[in-house]
Amino acid sequence: MSRREWTGLSADRTLRSLAVAATVVTAGVLLLVLYFPVGLVFAEAFGGSRPLDSFASTLTDPFYTGVLAELFARPFAVGVHLDNVGSWFAGVSVGPGGVDTPPLSKGLFGFTAYQAVLSTLASVAIGLPGAYVLANYEFRGRRTLRSLTIVPFVLPGIMVASGFYAAFGQAGLLNDVLALVGVGPQRLIETNPLFVVILAHAFYNAPLVARVATAAWESVDYRAVETARSLGATRRRAFRDVVLPQLTPAIATGALLTFLFTFLTFPIVLAIGGLELATVEVWVYYQLTEVLAFEEAATLAVLETAISLGVTYAYLRYESAQRAANPGEGPPREPLFGRASDAAGSWLARSRVVGALDARRLAIAGYTLVVVVLFVGPLGAMVLEGLTDGSGLTLRHYEFLLQRQASGASFQTKPLPAIRNSLVFGVATVAVALPMGLVVSVASTGEGRWRSLLETATMLPFAVSGIVFGIGLLRGLVFGISLPGGWRFVITGGVAIVAAHAVAAYPFVVRNVAPQLAGVDPRLVESARSLGASRVRAFLDVELRLAATGLVAGAAFAFAISIGEFDSTVILASDVAGDTVTYTMPVAVERYLGRRFGPAMAMGTVLLVVTAVSFVVVDRLGGRVERG
Amino acid sequence: MAELTLEGVSVSYGDAVALSDVHLDVADGEFFTLVGPSGCGKTTTLRSIAGFETPDTGELRFGGREMTGVPPEERDVGVVFQNYALFPHMSVAENIGYGLRFHPVDDPEARVAELLSLVDLDGFGDRDPTELSGGQQQRVSLARALAPEPDVLLLDEPMSALDARLREELRREVRRIQTDLGITTVYVTHDQEEALAVSDRVAVMHDGRVEQVGTPREVYHEPASRFVASFVGENNLFDGERVDGGVRVDGTTFTVDGLDAAGRDTGGHATLCVRPEHLRRDAAENRFALTVEQSEFLGEATRVHCDWDGRTVVWRTDRRVPERGAAVTLGFAPEHGRLL
Repeated sequence: MSRREWTGLSADRTLRSLAVAATVVTAGVLLLVLYFPVGLVFAEAFGGSRPLDSFASTLTDPFYTGVLAELFARPFAVGVHLDNVGSWFAGVSVGPGGVDTPPLSKGLFGFTAYQAVLSTLASVAIGLPGAYVLANYEFRGRRTLRSLTIVPFVLPGIMVASGFYAAFGQAGLLNDVLALVGVGPQRLIETNPLFVVILAHAFYNAPLVARVATAAWESVDYRAVETARSLGATRRRAFRDVVLPQLTPAIATGALLTFLFTFLTFPIVLAIGGLELATVEVWVYYQLTEVLAFEEAATLAVLETAISLGVTYAYLRYESAQRAANPGEGPPREPLFGRASDAAGSWLARSRVVGALDARRLAIAGYTLVVVVLFVGPLGAMVLEGLTDGSGLTLRHYEFLLQRQASGASFQTKPLPAIRNSLVFGVATVAVALPMGLVVSVASTGEGRWRSLLETATMLPFAVSGIVFGIGLLRGLVFGISLPGGWRFVITGGVAIVAAHAVAAYPFVVRNVAPQLAGVDPRLVESARSLGASRVRAFLDVELRLAATGLVAGAAFAFAISIGEFDSTVILASDVAGDTVTYTMPVAVERYLGRRFGPAMAMGTVLLVVTAVSFVVVDRLGGRVERG
Repeated sequence: MAELTLEGVSVSYGDAVALSDVHLDVADGEFFTLVGPSGCGKTTTLRSIAGFETPDTGELRFGGREMTGVPPEERDVGVVFQNYALFPHMSVAENIGYGLRFHPVDDPEARVAELLSLVDLDGFGDRDPTELSGGQQQRVSLARALAPEPDVLLLDEPMSALDARLREELRREVRRIQTDLGITTVYVTHDQEEALAVSDRVAVMHDGRVEQVGTPREVYHEPASRFVASFVGENNLFDGERVDGGVRVDGTTFTVDGLDAAGRDTGGHATLCVRPEHLRRDAAENRFALTVEQSEFLGEATRVHCDWDGRTVVWRTDRRVPERGAAVTLGFAPEHGRLL
């Protein structure tokens, strides 16, 4: 037993002031780096002489709200609206080719929601079988695969988009493979970009769905299933009556998050769909950068944020309602490969069982193929494109990177600074986001009706678009704020980027840490206090130690988010004037992408490797923390 | 060491009153038990003493020292919870030694070893708490609470998670240690049998109030209220009318000794309490006829449920029991009847 040198009240007083200071600093950082810049953009939306007019004209413009425009224009003309609905249904005809419906104008917001819904459905459809396999079968690498489900989520969108180009584009990997079997080139991205966008969204979010559903599946109390079976339920019926209700909350959580993320999607749609598939976020970006219609963009951003905040609030309410579930042991996992079927029993019965299992395994094999095409395909294609040119295998693109590093001009984007910046910003982001997330977790662990509101407020980075945030930072902190007395408050370069990354990352720390803090038995804290520990000391000795795994997971997320962040980094990483460059790896990929596809893919591969290696390192460190 | 005083302590959560106007005096070195059904306020009382709850009104004193508003860490209380509440990330020795970080002693390791020995867990110091059985974990929890030599020991249902045999063994051990150390102890339990077995004095609580305080014998033999009579031990309660020398229940008159204490007028309402073990077939007085309905063999005795004109009467006997449906006549001595 180790003896602590510092005991007693003076140390506790220091700790208490530290805790207060951390809370104040966190609130300050959030105010300065999150609420102020976002507020600045939003103020623009209300900045006209008649501020509400911009909202009214947006809501009543069919371009934005489709058929709902008329509803917003004349909200009380119920009869007219009912007639419209009636005539639409009158136009529905059921023919041999299925149900024909009259065209419905969705508008920009409608389309954004529409593609988000489709993406959500696709993600659930692809994610759930994965959860089934991970929770019900044992095979080599199951645990690794389970932890790998986190990886797509943190990959930079720009990289994934280029991966999908490399895989499914006209000159992509898929067509190369198809050509081998004699099928002509498919123009998938060109003819059906929405399909590819949805696939790319599934690439991001299906693993997320799989992850939360696997966790829920593994904690289903399996004795309840056995009880149902003993009461006469078939296997299928027991699944429907017992397992499914316990999975539903997790599936809903995954679906809601997927909807949120795809509603705010940006780089994927911009890269694959362009303006033809514009979502609200892409349109905001377009208005800002091409048309310079700042007020219109701000109005759109406010509406967009209102919708996603609403979804976030619903999600948090739902999540807190689901919190008190009893964790069980989960289903027994059967081996996926090979099966000792020497058990006694009639040959017929056994063959039926084996037959059914084989059908199931066949389905799993088919699913695996889909997963490989969807997940390994784009990343593999990217790695391959980095290693090939028109004629065959080559290291030319990597040579280009080395050469650029050795002899590039100062205005050119070099690979090494990009790697260095990404790592430095990543570490700094962890250092800032971890205490921030911890403070917010503590604040949101309490009970009461304000908790959901407080949580929604602190989860704003989930719900606010990266573009709005980046623009706000640029206009607010980088251009500077005038202070009384002729001073100007300016945050630029690396500091601004780290601040932006930390603000984007800390909600993930909160999501990992808050549940663990909430799960600590209050009697442990009470025991510590009755033994003489102050509240702060009990927090450090008990709660913090028990939330260590959540902190490690949160740190991993924060690091990965920083490495992959693109939306606001690309706006802030303006290295023309400064003497130290601040671009990161994703920004470098994007800059190469515009001119040279091969080197961009090579750079993307470097990004992939660095991300993967850091994850392994964090995982190892985390494992040590969990054991120690 | 200290005596403990609660004066008019009330606690409410919103509209729900958890404790109302509780007065208690616990003597120095006393083993004092709060007993009652769940939701009666016994745990809230204990948590108020520990400082985990802040009473709305009332005063709390340890040996004359005002404790209201003093944070838990400055009260010098040791707390043992039902679920042990051991720190899962610390070894057994680290758990026991945790309080010594705030109450420094010359040789903490020797103190931990001494406590391990006190709870009969020598050599368990390096184990993880999760490796231990429930009973062992509870001993560690007790040792941890005692390590800083608290003024008051608070035990919140410490045996409830253990099986019956272990429970009895551990409660004897807790009582032995408490007597050896002479530490003022407040014990919370819903198990009235346990309360009677270990305590110097018992407070029976109901609906946030203290119904009766007394020695185990007093609350058993002289219950102050209908609730205490029915909660502490088994009892037969008959509502009737007060008559001269006793009580009349549906035309049957029972004579009861020591009526002055009740102090009620003839003709008023009265409740007669008779313990099942005081009903006897060979009693000379207060005889009434019943029908045997069901019997449970308990080993040293048999508990018999009988019907008396639609009332269920519990009778406890160590003799042979008539068959189900048989008629039986029971009676009791006047000194065993009690009127409420």
